[in-house]
Amino acid sequence: MAFLIRQTLIYAVPLMVVALAGVFAERSGIINLALEGIMIFGAFIGVLFVHLVQKWGWFEAAKEVGNWGAMQLFLLMAMAVSAALGMVFSLLLAFAAINLRADQTIGGTALNLMAPALVLFLIRVINNQNTMQMFKGDSASWFMLKKKMLGITGSNFFIDTFLNKVYLTTYICVLVFIVLSVILYKTRFGLRLRSCGENPHAADSLGINVLKMRYHGVMISGALSGMGGFVYAMTTANCTANGEVAGFGFLALAVMIFGNWKPLNIAGAALLFGLFKCIAASYYSLDINGDGVYLLKEIGLSSNFYRLLPYLITLIVLAFTSKSSRAPKAAGIPYDIGSR
Amino acid sequence: MKKLLSVLIVLMLVLGLTVTCVADIAGADDIEDTMTSADGTYELAFITDVGQLKDKSFNQGTWNGVKSYAAEHGLSYKYYQPANGDQATDDDRYDAIKAAVDGGAKVAVCAGYMQGAALTKAADEFKDTMFVFIDGWPLTGADGNIMSNVAPVVFKEEQCGYFAGYALVKEGFEKIGFCGGGGGTNPACCRYGYGFAQGIDAAAAELGKTVDLNYSWLYGATFSASPELQTMVNGWYENGIEVVFACGGPMFDSITAAAAENDCFVVGVDSDQSYDSDTVVTSALKGVGEAAYLAIAKYYDGNWDEIAGTGINLGAAEGATGLPTETWSMQTYTVEEYEDMLAAVIAGELAVDDNYENLSDEALESVNLSIVE
Repeated sequence: MAFLIRQTLIYAVPLMVVALAGVFAERSGIINLALEGIMIFGAFIGVLFVHLVQKWGWFEAAKEVGNWGAMQLFLLMAMAVSAALGMVFSLLLAFAAINLRADQTIGGTALNLMAPALVLFLIRVINNQNTMQMFKGDSASWFMLKKKMLGITGSNFFIDTFLNKVYLTTYICVLVFIVLSVILYKTRFGLRLRSCGENPHAADSLGINVLKMRYHGVMISGALSGMGGFVYAMTTANCTANGEVAGFGFLALAVMIFGNWKPLNIAGAALLFGLFKCIAASYYSLDINGDGVYLLKEIGLSSNFYRLLPYLITLIVLAFTSKSSRAPKAAGIPYDIGSR
Repeated sequence: MKKLLSVLIVLMLVLGLTVTCVADIAGADDIEDTMTSADGTYELAFITDVGQLKDKSFNQGTWNGVKSYAAEHGLSYKYYQPANGDQATDDDRYDAIKAAVDGGAKVAVCAGYMQGAALTKAADEFKDTMFVFIDGWPLTGADGNIMSNVAPVVFKEEQCGYFAGYALVKEGFEKIGFCGGGGGTNPACCRYGYGFAQGIDAAAAELGKTVDLNYSWLYGATFSASPELQTMVNGWYENGIEVVFACGGPMFDSITAAAAENDCFVVGVDSDQSYDSDTVVTSALKGVGEAAYLAIAKYYDGNWDEIAGTGINLGAAEGATGLPTETWSMQTYTVEEYEDMLAAVIAGELAVDDNYENLSDEALESVNLSIVE
């Protein structure tokens, strides 16, 4: 059970954060189809940062003496760098969509096409191949928190699930998710941002700078997707970047729509998807209640069925819920002050 | 004085020759991967199939052999990777081979069984270029004859798989996993896996215990790391599997991440992978680099005919399969015991079956085999 929850979180957290990135952009009135592209870029930047810092030997020393605090700091820095560069990358979309009033779908698609090409090009230049790896070792032995590191010796459900074999990034992401959700709903800034996505002319008439708010929306979106990309690469791909994130950006878009542009629903949708993704890969060794019976294995269904499940479930739930789903009204429409 | 000098020079030359006769490719990782030749042509070419150049294993090992020969003999060298990464098609591989030939390659080393179709076409077309087909088989040209400009190199992977499996059980592991690449269609990986299972069986029978073996080709079809593979292996470790044989290039990444998470172990493949992760307990070695070096040397020494067409099959007797003894980390099972076994295999006293069709739970008496599919 502890294993299932841990693994589900690992799949769900990048989805959740990147879906929230989509929410911020769309709530401000910009459709951000480029989530995938920004994730790819963010993953590359984060991995490159880890690779370089390892190469320079800055944190070798910290690992030698077992200074886990320093290692985690290093991880946070990688997250921050990928978020910052993700934000910069998203400015391309913001500029095209806000200043040039270009079609946002096309702008987003352009970034999605550009990101893998650019990333692969850079990796080839730096590394002579298509994959950027850590300079040394693997992500689990460098960055994973285990209970013995934290000085915990006991063993119960809570410790095994949330304090053993976890990445700090998971909790940072959950925290960021909560804080930003509160900001979106409970602060003046959040209200203004949302108003720009519903009725920008009304917002403008009340003195809100719509273009500025939309820039904020896209930049937050870019930072979150960049960070999400790195978290994905670190926790599920052993800190490697290869110009793809297995379609997690598009899945995040689906999760956003699935979650009806609302943070709580998105968290639920991401967890559901993550759970089935996890079951698909590990059903063979899942023992939910710890009695030594591997139920899913013993049913004897084909593994293809389990691999189908996450997508099947998403389709089914979307079919039932999409009727009541409601996108921000002004999302996708360039703001033209004279078009009232 | 002059005489002394000439004697010295002759001595140096002779010494130099003996040194270069032995394929020593240690330290080849430090040779630059890219070089610029004066006339823009590259005599020695290396072409990958789907995996990455720097996979810390199969491709990297072969490439090191090519680089070593080139560096020692002052030849120009270049690597070519087909377009579309792990989705590369036969056309992509043909284009890569053609690019190598157009780039002036005299000897092109093509690594991986997937090159078959592309190489058949290319070798028939470019008869003046010599191709070394690692993990390959004799190729027939359009005229119905075996092409003499292709030298396939095959290894007895079942031997090093056997050594690794045997060593693990002797070391005390009782729950073991195997993750192979190529989806069960790659003969080399199948031989590795079958040998591994036989080794486990033999050691378990000697010790009188039954060993669990999870055997899987899942998530390995393209020889790449994936979140699904990591989760699956994570689940194995969580359920008591102590060590997994990561038999498929970059799949190593996912498996070693899962192993580090659970403080468990990994067996590397093709080259000594203990430098890449602390979780590596041993590696099933096959001398891909040495084989590439050897084949290239045959060409430049004028002995290409010895390996043309039918190629070579390398095993323990040629020093091409084994376990790395310099980085030995096992405590209970010792280097001496391993070397005795190696000697037995070389002497032919111990034969490992290479027909992987025979793999079954019934045939392995002391192994509880679960095929995960």
